[in-house]
Amino acid sequence: MEKLLKELQYADVQRQTRRHFLQSAGFGLGALGLGSLLGSCGSSKAGDAAGASESLAGSGIPQFAPKAKRVIYIHMAGAPSQLELFDYKPELVKYHGKDCPAEFLEGKKFAFIQGVPKMLGPQGKFAQYGQSGAWLSDYLPYLQTVADEITFLKAMHTDQFNHAPAQLLLHTGSPRLGRPSLGAWAVYGLGSENRNLPGFIVLASGGRQPDAGKSVYGSGFLPSVYQGVQCRTGGDPVLYVTDPNGMNRNIRKKTIDAINEINRQTYEEVQDPEILTRISQYEMAFRMQMSVPEVMDVAKEPQFILDMYGVKAGEGSFGMNCLLARKLIENDVRFVQLFDWGWDGHGTNATDNVEGGLRSKCQISDKPIAALIKDLKMRGLLEETLVIFGAEFGRTPMQENRNGVVMPYMGRDHHLEAYTMWMAGGGVKQGYSHGETDELGYYGVKDRVHVHDLQATILHLMGFDHEKFTYPFQGRNFRLTDTEGKVVKQVIA
Amino acid sequence: MLFPLLQASPWALFIGRFHPVLVHLPIGFLLIAALIEIGRRTGKISVSESTVVFVLFWSAVSATFACIAGYLLSMGGGYDEDLLGAHMWKGIGVAVFAWVAWLVKSDRLAGKISFGKVVYLPAFAVSVLLTMTAGHDGGSLTHGDGYLTQYTPEPFRSLAGMDPIEEKAKEIKPITDVQQAVVYKDIVQPILEARCTQCHNASKKKGDLRMDELALLMKGGENGPALVAGKGAESDMIKRCLLDESDDNHMPPKGKPQLSTEQIALLSWWIDQGAPADKKVSELAVTDQVKPALASLGGGSATGGSGGAKQKESAIATLKVSPAKESDIQALRKAGLIVNTLSQDQNLLEVSAVNAPQFSDKDIALLLPVAEQVTWLKLGGTQITDGGLKEIAKLKNLTKLHLEHSGVTDQGIAQLKSLPHLEYLNVIDTKMGDAGLKNIASMKGLRSIYVWQSGVTDSAVAQAAKQSPGLQIVNGFSEAEVAQFLKAGDTTATKPVAATKK
Repeated sequence: MEKLLKELQYADVQRQTRRHFLQSAGFGLGALGLGSLLGSCGSSKAGDAAGASESLAGSGIPQFAPKAKRVIYIHMAGAPSQLELFDYKPELVKYHGKDCPAEFLEGKKFAFIQGVPKMLGPQGKFAQYGQSGAWLSDYLPYLQTVADEITFLKAMHTDQFNHAPAQLLLHTGSPRLGRPSLGAWAVYGLGSENRNLPGFIVLASGGRQPDAGKSVYGSGFLPSVYQGVQCRTGGDPVLYVTDPNGMNRNIRKKTIDAINEINRQTYEEVQDPEILTRISQYEMAFRMQMSVPEVMDVAKEPQFILDMYGVKAGEGSFGMNCLLARKLIENDVRFVQLFDWGWDGHGTNATDNVEGGLRSKCQISDKPIAALIKDLKMRGLLEETLVIFGAEFGRTPMQENRNGVVMPYMGRDHHLEAYTMWMAGGGVKQGYSHGETDELGYYGVKDRVHVHDLQATILHLMGFDHEKFTYPFQGRNFRLTDTEGKVVKQVIA
Repeated sequence: MLFPLLQASPWALFIGRFHPVLVHLPIGFLLIAALIEIGRRTGKISVSESTVVFVLFWSAVSATFACIAGYLLSMGGGYDEDLLGAHMWKGIGVAVFAWVAWLVKSDRLAGKISFGKVVYLPAFAVSVLLTMTAGHDGGSLTHGDGYLTQYTPEPFRSLAGMDPIEEKAKEIKPITDVQQAVVYKDIVQPILEARCTQCHNASKKKGDLRMDELALLMKGGENGPALVAGKGAESDMIKRCLLDESDDNHMPPKGKPQLSTEQIALLSWWIDQGAPADKKVSELAVTDQVKPALASLGGGSATGGSGGAKQKESAIATLKVSPAKESDIQALRKAGLIVNTLSQDQNLLEVSAVNAPQFSDKDIALLLPVAEQVTWLKLGGTQITDGGLKEIAKLKNLTKLHLEHSGVTDQGIAQLKSLPHLEYLNVIDTKMGDAGLKNIASMKGLRSIYVWQSGVTDSAVAQAAKQSPGLQIVNGFSEAEVAQFLKAGDTTATKPVAATKK
């Protein structure tokens, strides 16, 4: 039997022309990995792409039983100020308007700050909430109602102080392009459950895509079937998913079957796994014509749910995306990524600041986020669903002085040394705060968590040992956390 | 000290620490010598006597060095004197008898000692026996008395007349009512037991300090009292915990499980309050700093969070089952079910009917061949009814069961009572009523039950929550709760603030 198999492989190799070889070289090692995935579908004969979508979904067995079966990752692109929202620094009030101590500036580089900036006191009013006594500001009056569900990571830190590389580092483990994102890894590892919906769905709001573009939810060197599928929040959830005029569903089906047949023949000839992805995407798209409009339709939601999220049926918004996230999770989508753009706060104009600008961003996002947590909990989904909130970095305790000029509004520069993220549900502690920053909120002084540590922890909650969860590419095994990362055991319930 | 010959110099301790390394040499050498001797005498192997004598010589040499190193180590102090004495004399015995056995066989002396032949075997045997007992004493000194047999399984346990295994409170159990907890007994002592008393107990008092009793803790050790009542920040035990982990004086020592921030905060607070022996939390002044730490002690409840407490490990961690047959798994997949192995080191299965809404009672039979393995079962939104639950009750290792949006009623739910490990039950949007909840809420392992949109009333939820404090019962929101939530934004000053231009 083994000999036969070898002979078959040999024949395949011989059939490959030089051009084929060069063409597929980039995928060569990826294909090796995929071979094992396909091998697992057993009875299907080699190259039978009919079961492609099924075999590509659900590939691995986790190292330990997952506590978080699903993830909703809320990314506030632009980076809100932790000093206005979560990290209460009464000392900073006293230093407001004073020159920044030299020790904070020596040998440091900032995105915009130059010379000696002034310190900027917290703009929010803080108080403790819930039994856990979580510190939250009056920017977030709704989050206070779910404070006891949350684990705060108060001493997050990162390596990058510009939006795009920092977003890439946070989501793909590397500040450079080309790595798979967290959601892609999750679906690659745990598979996709609902066969009518993609396992990794992205919803964006705030008027713009995140600075790092689609790469923050890309599949990198993983087969592209694992990349995030972006759905629109209003109107047709997926563009071109409805049948054009004059084409009914049967004709559509026949068309797709014919295309897939051609694709399958090509796959058998050249063995490029990306063709399997293409076939499965066609099949998925066909099923999504039915399933997506159904899932994305909020008309059947009771009025009080719409009120809690603060949304109106038919209107796209961040709040709507939160509601859709719940509906997708309810339908066993593995990973839902929300992006909301517009959280930068340099103080350069009326929206880009940490006072009114940040407040109005909080006003449209705070309520739906709290509603999402309550809603998930009510449905028995929060236990199994990890909700993550955060951004690519934090903001400085100093007021920004771009080009040495005082900004017209209260603003803070990008800060990589310390910022806050939080997680809820999915196996993390309820009502817990991990890590501390110094009195001015500049450095993490206790239990610092690097973005790689966060990634290791998320993978751990999903059942994967981040050091063993790898994918072979270009001659080495790659992992999300690269060569770093330590699971933050303290936050696990 | 027994021999005040040497002072506990750094050199002495440096060499002393090699005792645990050196000590294994004579053990190995002596046993090998004994085995060769047995093999030689029974004719199983053909080696000359000189081989045995050669190994014996090195046994004696290494035993001697181990003794010296052991003595130097003991000068560091902190060991139970009686046990240490026994260990030392037995160890010296090993060396002495090994030398004797070697001596009577050695080239130079064998001829000169007439009784050599008579002495050889007994000396050899005594040396080997002493190795074993001295070794055991040494183990007890290092790991604590009874370490070796602590986890003797049944039936040997009862046969040996030992007490049942006591669940050592290594991780601290949640406290149901923090306000009524006695601070020392319920909060401080469990922390000390989990993190400190392994080395500071009756048999192994490191630094001459015992932390297993309050009076002894107050008395302190060779570095003075461990705590200054009323002054947490000045108490040695707190200061040491706060030192950098790499610091030599840091406690617990590097590599051992460390105290959490909350635990240190709790201990410090207790000392600040005068380190009372029998005061309750409610009788002491609760400071802002200690509030979150105190909250973290509580268990989960129907209303609030579990306050950062460590959850009890799910039963899936301990359930061990044989792998399911591949053909049975394939049959389930053919019916449209998702079947996943829970993790690599377990054979437990997760089964989901998310893609099989047509799944009904007649398909349940498919699950029975894997009845032992299925631990997570998702039948939400399927055609399942009470009839099916009768069969599901046979899946003994179920921990999570999703029945939301299905046709089950009180009658079917009652069947589930026989599931010993059930932890999670989702019956939202079903016909289950108050009777069903009352029935199922008494289940021991059950942690959370979701009853929104079922027939369950809020008063039944309140009643069940009172009866089963560890159980979280979630019944969605009432109109009042929604209204209250919607008002959250009005109560604080979150009105749009026009950014003020400078």
